[in-house]
Amino acid sequence: MAERKRGCLGCSFPILIIIAVVFLALFVIGFLAGPIGQNMIGDVGLPDWMKVPSPEPHLPAPELFSVFGLPITNTILASWITVIVLVVISYVVTRRMKIVPSRLQTIFEALLGWLFDLCKSIAGDKNARRFYPVIATIFLYVLFNAWLSLVPGFGSIELIEHKPIPENAHIEIIPAEGDKPEHKVVLVDHKEYEIINVDGKEMIEVRHELIRGANTDVNTPLALAFISFFFVAYFGLKSLGIGWLRQYFNFGPFFRSFGNIFKGKFDFMGVFAGVIEIIVGFLELLSRFITVISFTFRLFGNMTAGEILLLITAFLIPWILALPFYGLELLIGAIQAFIFAGLTLVFVTMAVTPHEGEAY
Amino acid sequence: MNRWVAALRLTGVGFFIAACILIGTFTGLWLDGKLNTEPLFMIGGLLVGLVVAIYGVYRMIRPLMGNKQDKENG
Repeated sequence: MAERKRGCLGCSFPILIIIAVVFLALFVIGFLAGPIGQNMIGDVGLPDWMKVPSPEPHLPAPELFSVFGLPITNTILASWITVIVLVVISYVVTRRMKIVPSRLQTIFEALLGWLFDLCKSIAGDKNARRFYPVIATIFLYVLFNAWLSLVPGFGSIELIEHKPIPENAHIEIIPAEGDKPEHKVVLVDHKEYEIINVDGKEMIEVRHELIRGANTDVNTPLALAFISFFFVAYFGLKSLGIGWLRQYFNFGPFFRSFGNIFKGKFDFMGVFAGVIEIIVGFLELLSRFITVISFTFRLFGNMTAGEILLLITAFLIPWILALPFYGLELLIGAIQAFIFAGLTLVFVTMAVTPHEGEAY
Repeated sequence: MNRWVAALRLTGVGFFIAACILIGTFTGLWLDGKLNTEPLFMIGGLLVGLVVAIYGVYRMIRPLMGNKQDKENG
């Protein structure tokens, strides 16, 4: 038996020490280059390319170009990339399926198998097979949208566009300060742009990210929430027919009791209970619609907050500080994908169960 | 009972309450702006939002409460 080498985490001690020293050096340089170090210690003469410009998070996704009048934004590009990655992965994984699976096949078999078991435990054997394709699609799409947006290139490649200054725009002259000479700025749509000279003409410089995580555009979560809503409604109507709509528009008891008045039987409690049923149905309907909103903003909020958190940490102490937060974002992406897919599954299971209590 | 179902239902509670109250209040504000009836519809919308929130949360946790009672009784 070979002698076991001393070490930790599969590395020998000298390599571990080298890694630690490199990390420490990067941390110190990052600290000096970032705004915290600059404020505490002052400029130590680091080259300009090391200094990080202050981050500018944008909420609305800018339009990059349009196809047949349809605006294509950077988040749409990102979602196309997600779709392509998913298609390529599924092709590679299923191209040569083996009884003894390869590593990639094992990962995806474990992931999808776990998801299928979850479907079965919530929806039951028969329904799990019906719901699984949609649930797994939502899960994988949200998960890969979140994880791919952590890949370098997302949010870091910029498109620079020169646009003419809009008429009637308010131009302000900023006096020279420190290294910066006197320059003009203009306020367009509540944003400040610097005016630069391009071929003798005064233009404004607009910077867009080329691709940005699709989940950070409110339209993607909203579209997913609508898909989830219509999926639930479709299976509810298909399984229970009109009975599914009765939980929202329950006028039956009211009109029956009301009809009884004309037959000479005055049933005040019946009419009252009927009115209560109608109000409960209305509340149920409202809460269904609000669920769409809460689905949307949970995903959008978590993903956007994560993006901004990464921007800020990478700005404060470049390189090292953002690393643990990348780990956090991996976890949050997985949790959000699970919540989105899982809640859709719970709602659709409730919708196809005649008496809701049995769904549990 | 499936513990995943309970966990998933409960993740929705916070966002549901916030969404109900915000939507009620802002719909009320919008109606007030249109009809010049400030603050009638805002208060109305807030109340409707609160009622929907309470009802929705009750619906979400009712199955969990029911199961506990079943266990205690049985």
